[in-house]
Amino acid sequence: MDNFRNKFIEEATEHINDLEGTLLLLEQDPENKELVEKVFRIMHSLKGGGAMFGFERISEFTHNLENIYDLVRNGEMFVSKDLLDVTLAAVDHLKNLLDDRKSELPQTLDVHQNLLAKINNILESKNAIAITKDINKDKGSTNVTSAIASKTATYYILFQPNENIFDNGTNPLYLIDELYSLGQAICIPHFNRIPDFDKLIPTQCYTYWEVILSTAQPFNAISDVFIFVEDECHIDIHKLSDYNLLENNEFYGFIQQALKSSNDIGIDNLQTLASRINASIMVKEKKTDDRLAVSKENTISSIRVSSEKLDVLMNLVSELVTTQARLSLFAENSNNNELIAIAENVQKLSRQLRDIAFSIVLIPIENLMTRFQRLVRDLSQELKKEVQFVAEGTDTELDKTIIENLTDPLLHILRNSLDHGIEEPAIRVKHGKPRQGTIMLKAFYSGANVHIQISDDGAGIDTEKIRQKAISKGLISPDAVLSQKELLEFIFIPGFSTASNVTEVSGRGVGMDVVRRKIADIRGEVEVESKLGVGTTTTIKLPLTLSIIDGLLVKIHDTFYIIPLSSVDKIYAAEHNKVVGTFNQLIVLDGQQIPFFYLRHEFELEENNAPLEQVIVVRYEDKRIGLVVDSVVGEYQAVLKPLGKYYKNQEIISGATILGDGTIALVIDTNKAIKYFAHKYKVEEVK
Amino acid sequence: MAKTILIVDDSESIREVVSFTLENEGYTVLVAVDGKDALKFLDGTEIDLVITDLHMPVMDGIELIKHIRSMEKYQRIPILFLTTESQAAKKMEAKEAGATGWIIKPFVPAKLIAAINKVIR
Amino acid sequence: MSNNKQHKINSYLTFKLGEETFAANVSKVLNILEMTKVTKVPKAPPYMKGVINLRGAVLPLVDTRIKFEMTPTEFTPNTCILVLDININGESVHVGALVDSVQEVIELDDSQIMPPPSIGTRYKSEFLEGVAKIGDDFVMILDMDLIFSTDELSLLKESVNEEQQQEQGNVG
Repeated sequence: MDNFRNKFIEEATEHINDLEGTLLLLEQDPENKELVEKVFRIMHSLKGGGAMFGFERISEFTHNLENIYDLVRNGEMFVSKDLLDVTLAAVDHLKNLLDDRKSELPQTLDVHQNLLAKINNILESKNAIAITKDINKDKGSTNVTSAIASKTATYYILFQPNENIFDNGTNPLYLIDELYSLGQAICIPHFNRIPDFDKLIPTQCYTYWEVILSTAQPFNAISDVFIFVEDECHIDIHKLSDYNLLENNEFYGFIQQALKSSNDIGIDNLQTLASRINASIMVKEKKTDDRLAVSKENTISSIRVSSEKLDVLMNLVSELVTTQARLSLFAENSNNNELIAIAENVQKLSRQLRDIAFSIVLIPIENLMTRFQRLVRDLSQELKKEVQFVAEGTDTELDKTIIENLTDPLLHILRNSLDHGIEEPAIRVKHGKPRQGTIMLKAFYSGANVHIQISDDGAGIDTEKIRQKAISKGLISPDAVLSQKELLEFIFIPGFSTASNVTEVSGRGVGMDVVRRKIADIRGEVEVESKLGVGTTTTIKLPLTLSIIDGLLVKIHDTFYIIPLSSVDKIYAAEHNKVVGTFNQLIVLDGQQIPFFYLRHEFELEENNAPLEQVIVVRYEDKRIGLVVDSVVGEYQAVLKPLGKYYKNQEIISGATILGDGTIALVIDTNKAIKYFAHKYKVEEVK
Repeated sequence: MAKTILIVDDSESIREVVSFTLENEGYTVLVAVDGKDALKFLDGTEIDLVITDLHMPVMDGIELIKHIRSMEKYQRIPILFLTTESQAAKKMEAKEAGATGWIIKPFVPAKLIAAINKVIR
Repeated sequence: MSNNKQHKINSYLTFKLGEETFAANVSKVLNILEMTKVTKVPKAPPYMKGVINLRGAVLPLVDTRIKFEMTPTEFTPNTCILVLDININGESVHVGALVDSVQEVIELDDSQIMPPPSIGTRYKSEFLEGVAKIGDDFVMILDMDLIFSTDELSLLKESVNEEQQQEQGNVG
């Protein structure tokens, strides 16, 4: 059972996420029937599954929402802002209800009651309309309380035939029979209209009936029972509840009592009782019809795999690649041609396997968009700003681990844009901008990287303010000349916030420093560009994957390093004295002057005394920079392993990999390394 | 004991569809082509339900219903008439003449059975 | 598992750094390794000795002596690596700790463990779970979680620290 339950949780989570996205679309396009239909279907599935797998609150909760969207679907209600607000709030709540750790928390239960009440309000306001409408239709004596009846509901039916009903060949008992066939029913016959024997006419009908019926049949099915006789009877049909009241002991007891006494129950008494029960007990949907309603895809174009399995797969592929490296090394040293051929084959296969496994864990950033849209929606309302969120290139794929770690930083950047970037509508108009601000998220591939840009057309960042603040904090001297870019760098310093007022939204003590750190954790970089009055653009550069990279294996002193092939431009051999003891740190290669770093110096090791050094020319921003190492071993597929928390301040090295013989090689992050080295020289120059 | 149903319709295809459906349900079915033809069954045979079309030559449905209700033996026999949705006025007329209910054409077997179940068991 | 919550595992692994004997609760020690090949990570703080290959995983290695503000470890045949399971903000992190030698596993009753003395030790009392007397020796029972999750904080008392710094100053 637990297995099914987990499956349901998984499925429901997907449904809920889907629901959130659909609702946001629906907000843009409230008339869209397909979207309404989809919301209805999701509610329906959640309700059915919830009841079946023991999530009674979910079932209870989605029940009325389902009814509401059923009405919308049938054109009896329209998509209002209130409805969307409540449904979106319900999305969050449903997630909590799914989570066993949260579902029983007092605050969750509070929210539950609160939302239920709101949903009922919406439904009731609709019922009021339904009643008036039916009265206007003037359906004879048939009084319609509610038009909602697609799920099990309990009805009160008063069936009072005219005395001459037999004349037309009608047998009222058949009609009572028919009511019984619709569901669970209790019939209370009343004989108090039967006159004294001497006045009794045998061909007249004096009996009338009260029937309590719980049925999943629509309201029409009940009124249809009386279709031939509606002009010859008094018929009242009232809905008492949206579930099977006959399963409620109190109610059942009351009916049994009434059966014995043979007094009229009357709709008023019943309604009072029903509404008291409705309010006091948790509604327990026990309908079996819906239990099988969990939606299923007919065609299997994709299958669902748990992310744990994917993690295991990736680990195994990593191990395989590592082992394969050992095999290749062993084969090469063995001089056994057959073994070498086999090793090469294994290498080819494991490379293919790696690529496939790698592509499996890539997911499009589309998956994040719903959360972003939601944030923009909620926050812009809260801040009373008008903002449209535009996303581009959301099919760009990234490693799922990266996606998971990307969410919080991106949310923070979005919050910044909403809170500090986009101005209030009035101010925007005053500045000749459209009332509605735009936040644009753009994702695209750039070489072996993915870039994600978030730009807003808001106020921009006032670098002069940053300068003043940096001066007041003693970070720079008042006469220091800094570029725009250098000034913007200050916002990444911990505790350096430009917001003069700490607001509820951005002032949570989480700043851009944390964003940068979190992005760095996934080997990415963050940069900010901003123009005062025009807007701000934050760019995040990310690697495609975290787990395996193609690298160049090099050796410095007694340590192996990996330089990612994606950044390597060309490799040159250079005489030792061309790279050691030069003044300007420049070397001429292919007729070009190229700045370089002698890594032995940078890593505080003694100089190499070999006559030749290897210069690895790598790309850095738009420049070419040389990194000088002792020797180049060759290309290497590196399975990245993190250095862990103890090296969290270590930026130059992005991870480690284990070579075929068990030796550890360190992976150099060339961008960060060069930035670090360059900064050091700059500081030294200043000194 | 199987109930006996009399079907009165001038259309052969309707008669066949109805009798086929009802015989399948276990009823004994008698057929007549118009009101006058129907009367001959009402004399001797024990009948539990009459299903009649309204528009028929010789004697139409309304007339037949009135006639049946005037017979002491069949004063309270259920009578269903076949009609189309558009003939609302006719419906009223037939009810006033004493019909128990109606069956709307075109119908599927289930509808027919459902209507019959309202009036006989 | 013990039924009684108050009874934790009372086994301690004792080890030496220089002349001093320390103890760590065995629940913190996953493994004891012989010295192995260490890959130095450039630009790391001095107490971070490098990384080692622990059955295919990369394990960071701390020079415990430097952490305790002694001279760096000099490798001898007795030098060992304790593989520790450290709780950093609720997260279990593995780290290797270099020690000069591993002594033995001892059982200590709660009654044998005395609160850390305010004088007579160089170390701040918050890093010590207590002190036990084994024979004639005092053994300092260390709070491994705290020691190995603090980055830069000195384990030494302020006064000692200042003295040490002065000493260092004198030497330098």
